[in-house]
Amino acid sequence: MLSQAPLNADLHVVNAQVLYDGVVEAVRDVSFSVDAGRIVCLLGANGAGKSTLLKAISGILGPEKGALTKGSITFAGKGLTALSSDGIVRKGIVQVPEGRRLFVNLTVEENLLMGGFTVRAAERAVRLESVYSLFPDLTDHRHRVAGYLSGGQQQMVAIGRALMSSPSLLMLDEPSLGLAPKIVEQIFAAISSLRDSGDIAILLVEQNARLALTISDYGYVLERGRVVFDGDAATLLGSPEIQEFYLGLDQSAGRKSLRDVKHYRRRKRWLA
Amino acid sequence: MSYFLNLVFAGLAVGAIYGMLAMGYAIIYKVSRVVNFAQGEIMMLIGYISYSVALRTDASAPLVMLSVIAGAIGVGLLIERFIVRPMLGQPVFSLVMMTIALAVMIRAVVGLIWGLDPYRFPGSATGAPIELFGVYMQPIQLFLLAVYVALCVGVWAFLRFNIVGIAMRATATDSTVSLLMGVSVSRLYRVAWIISALIAGIAGVLFANIYHIGPDLAHVGIRAFPAAILGGLDSVLGSALGGLIIGVVENLAGGYIASAYKEIAGFVVILVILMIRPYGLFGQKDIERV
Repeated sequence: MLSQAPLNADLHVVNAQVLYDGVVEAVRDVSFSVDAGRIVCLLGANGAGKSTLLKAISGILGPEKGALTKGSITFAGKGLTALSSDGIVRKGIVQVPEGRRLFVNLTVEENLLMGGFTVRAAERAVRLESVYSLFPDLTDHRHRVAGYLSGGQQQMVAIGRALMSSPSLLMLDEPSLGLAPKIVEQIFAAISSLRDSGDIAILLVEQNARLALTISDYGYVLERGRVVFDGDAATLLGSPEIQEFYLGLDQSAGRKSLRDVKHYRRRKRWLA
Repeated sequence: MSYFLNLVFAGLAVGAIYGMLAMGYAIIYKVSRVVNFAQGEIMMLIGYISYSVALRTDASAPLVMLSVIAGAIGVGLLIERFIVRPMLGQPVFSLVMMTIALAVMIRAVVGLIWGLDPYRFPGSATGAPIELFGVYMQPIQLFLLAVYVALCVGVWAFLRFNIVGIAMRATATDSTVSLLMGVSVSRLYRVAWIISALIAGIAGVLFANIYHIGPDLAHVGIRAFPAAILGGLDSVLGSALGGLIIGVVENLAGGYIASAYKEIAGFVVILVILMIRPYGLFGQKDIERV
C-alpha cells in the first residue's frame, strides 16, 4: 500500500488518441515520455489537448464522457488504461489540477490529509510534517479554511496535497495560472527543487512557455491535439520558430503581417 | 407552564427521531447530491427486521441491536450495489427517481411479509414515567434523547477526524478532485448508504418501542424531510438540529392551536426560514474569492 518509488518510474504515452463523446477528437497520435528525476513540459495554447492528456493519465476522463480510444499509457512498465483513478494514485501518479481546485470548505490541514488518502495514517502524519517544512508559510494557516487563502498559498496547498501520497510522478496543470509573477517564481523554484531532491518525475503543463522551459529538461509543443515540436528545453528555447510563435519573441524588428503567420501555420500542419 | 414544558419535551422526543432520519438524508445528499426519498421506508424495513428478531428471541436487547446493525449493513450494501452503482454517471435526478421507486417497493414487500396491521414491539416496557419540574418523561424517551446526542457526537467526530469522513466532506465540495486524491467514490457511497441506513434503523427501532411497528413508520420519513431542509440538506448536524426544531414546533402547534395544525406547522417553519436563509440554517454557501 505504501507507494514507494519503483526503480524505473517512467511514464510512456504512445500514440494516444482521446475522443470526447465518441466524436470530438481532443488528442491525436500523441507520444511522449517522462523519466524519473526530470521535468518534462507540455506546451501549447488553449485547446491543444494538454489537460486532456493529464486527465487520461489520471484516469478521470470518464465523468467528462471522454475515453482513450487508441494508444497506450504505461508507467513503470505497467499499463494504466485498465486501472481506476484510485488505482493510478496508488501506483504513485498524482495530479495538481488546473486552477488549484482545493476543497475550499475544508481547512488547509484537511486538504493535505486528503492528499494522503491512499497511505496509512502513520505515514500520513510523517508526510504532513514534510509538506509543512517544504512550505513553511502554510504552518500558520493549517486550521484556516482553504478557500480564504491567497492564490499563492492555495497553490502551495495544492502542490503539498499532491505530495502527501509520496508520488513518483507529479503532474502539474498550469501552476502559474492567475498568480503574481513573484509568487510564480516561488512556486517554480519549489518545483525545480523537488526535481533536484529525489527520484520524482515531473510533468508540467504550461501556457507560459518561456517560464516552463527555463526549469524543464525536455519539452513537447502541442497544437490542436498533436505534438508539433519536441526537444531539449535549451534547444526549444533557442529555436526561432518556437521563439516567434510560442514565446512572442521576434528577431526581425517591425510588425509581422498575418499572411506570414498563416503561411507558417499551413506549412506546419503538413509537417505535423 | 408545565403544559408548555410537557409539549416541548414530547416535541424533543419526536424531534430526535426526525433528526436522526434527517441526518441520514444529509449524509447521502452530502456525498452524492442525491435526495434519498426511501429514507422512511429503510427505517421501516429495518424496524420490521428487528421486530421479527425480537419476537423470536424473547426481545433480547443485544440481539435486537445486532439485527439493526446487520440489517443496516445489508440494506446499505444491496442498495449501493443494485441501485446506486448502475446509475453512476447518470443524471442525479434519475437516481432520485430510483429512490422513489425503491420506497414503493419496500412498502410493498413489507406489506407482503408482515401485513398491514400495526403491532406492539415485543418487550417495549412502558415503565412508570419520571416526573421532573412537572414534566412527565418515559424512560425510553430519555434513552432516545441520549442515543440522539451520542449519534450527533459520533457523526460529528467521524466527519471531523476520520479520513473517510473528511473524504466525504471533500467529495461534497469537488468529487473530481476527490478521484484525483485516490478516493474510490463508489466505496464512499457505500459507506454513506450504510451509515444512513444504520441511523435510520436505530431511529426505527426506538420509534417502534415508543409507539408501535406498522406501515405508517414510512410516513415519518416524509415528516423528517423538512427537518433536513431546515437544517441545510448538506449539513449533517444542522439537519439533526432541524429535527428537534420541527418536532417542538409541531407539538406546540398541536397543543396550542389544534391538532390538525400539527402536520403543517413544520412546513410553515421551513417556508419562513428558507425565505431568509435559502441554504437552510446551517447549509454550506459556496465560498467565492473575488
